[in-house]
Amino acid sequence: MMGRIWAIALNTFREAARIRVLYGILVLVVGANLLAIVLGEMSIHEQARVARDIGLASISFVGSMTAIFLGVFLLYGEVQRRTIYSIVTRPIARWEFVCGKYLGMVLVLTVLAALFSVAMVALLAWQGVGLTAALGKAVLLAWFEVVTVAAIAVFFSSFSSPFLSGIFALALFVIGRVTPDLRSAAATADAAWIRTVARGTLEIVPDLHLFAISGRAVDGQTVSVHGDFVAWSYVASAAGHGLLWIGALLILACVIFQRRDFV
Amino acid sequence: MKILETTNLAKTYRTPFRRKKVEALRGVSFEVGKGEVFGFLGPNGAGKTTTIRCLMGLCTITSGSAIILGQPVPSREARQRVGFLPEQPYFYDYLTVTELLDLGGRLFGLGAAERARRGGELAEKVGLGHARNLPLKKFSKGMLQRAGLAMALVNDPELVVLDEPMSGLDPVGRKEVRDLILELRDAGKTVFFSSHILSDVEQVSDRVAIVVGGTIRDVGRPRELVGASRLATEVVLHLGGDEAANAAAREAIALRADKVRGVEGEVLAVLGAGADVDDFLAFARGHGGKVVSVTPRHETLEDLFLRRVEAGKTERRAETVAS
Repeated sequence: MMGRIWAIALNTFREAARIRVLYGILVLVVGANLLAIVLGEMSIHEQARVARDIGLASISFVGSMTAIFLGVFLLYGEVQRRTIYSIVTRPIARWEFVCGKYLGMVLVLTVLAALFSVAMVALLAWQGVGLTAALGKAVLLAWFEVVTVAAIAVFFSSFSSPFLSGIFALALFVIGRVTPDLRSAAATADAAWIRTVARGTLEIVPDLHLFAISGRAVDGQTVSVHGDFVAWSYVASAAGHGLLWIGALLILACVIFQRRDFV
Repeated sequence: MKILETTNLAKTYRTPFRRKKVEALRGVSFEVGKGEVFGFLGPNGAGKTTTIRCLMGLCTITSGSAIILGQPVPSREARQRVGFLPEQPYFYDYLTVTELLDLGGRLFGLGAAERARRGGELAEKVGLGHARNLPLKKFSKGMLQRAGLAMALVNDPELVVLDEPMSGLDPVGRKEVRDLILELRDAGKTVFFSSHILSDVEQVSDRVAIVVGGTIRDVGRPRELVGASRLATEVVLHLGGDEAANAAAREAIALRADKVRGVEGEVLAVLGAGADVDDFLAFARGHGGKVVSVTPRHETLEDLFLRRVEAGKTERRAETVAS
């Protein structure tokens, strides 16, 4: 089983490499670092803060957008190009195929996060700033956000066109990022229907805000990657939330894909 | 021993919004024995590819059943022992043949050494040894078809299912595929292939099924299906006289034959199924004709096929009128 999933994952990674996705990511990494240097020089003794903020925002935003872009084509493209005919007619279960495709995309996104992280660390080292555990935790959280967004895109790709999947996934990404506002609306909105909609939305959308908490309040205390940040237990809890959503979305994608006729 | 068996296989599609029913297969039943080359013949839209997609698990079966190598479809165990070439194969065009076959081998659980050995052997076998490290996007249609054939054989299958394997190939490529099919049969494999190219099917198939309008019209050995009865006899005669004598002879011959064609001294006379050929030849010689050739014309698979297609069209028209 793992051999087949790995074969699909490796092929998905190879595809991303051959269609120059990784080169595109490299260009974005260079661009983000140049931006960090320029904005750092414009700031007053805040070069390290700018480097960290831009580095983490790049992993989170560029990673999520790449996840959506790659994810919405992931299964749809296989059916549309009919390449799936040569794969699912071999002794591989369709769920293995879906998981393999997702794993391959996670590999690509991990390379993306790693490139951004290495560039950010190199920039910080050049500025004479050392590594901190907070930075490691923030990178890990950003990576979990990206792979959760990837699962959202893959789920939509199992039954919808790339255009619609892209819109749905982008909507969930945006809504997932504003869950504190939704919680507030669910608790305090005057209109009952707004409270109901907000509560319902919170149930069906992954809480992506959990992964981008630098500068926000956690348990009543403001945390920041530049100072006091969350504990490892928080990272584990957020990762658990992400993994549950990834599992649920992939199971749904597998069930939908299993029932499809390829004509 | 049955390698492949379908019983009343039916497939109905529903259009996404109007939920209109489209009956692609309406009770397809046939069997393929071990070591047979079985040709699945039908016009475009007859249900050949749908049948194959159902057999290979690409489509769900609406009703009826299919069994491959003793396992009900869809079955991963059966797919482990089956090789498949889709119609107009589409592959990851960024891969090379070596990488494609390696991917295929991995899906069948072959070890690294076995994958490398099989990949090399198959690339040579299908004539792609020289191009094994080129990306597939640089391949011609014929080369892609060969790559697909190699992919279909990567697991050394007991049953090889080929959907339109000769499609898009030039005469040389088609002959190579026919030779490959016969080679597979000689190696003890069972081959099930679909085609609408009658001559290809006739040349390599032990048995054929003709499918029209989603139903099987005939199953059997090609010779049994077309029968041994003579449909007509074609006689070519040379008339050696002068212009007036040849015209008179031609006129006389025309009275004894169903059809007469030809120019100047060469005449082709077509005699009906019940004609006395000896009597006609004596008559023609009596009018100065020299017999060049006598060719009995039996029903061909093409005749039968066209008759079935025509019958299918008539049925469909009747159904449309009835509905």
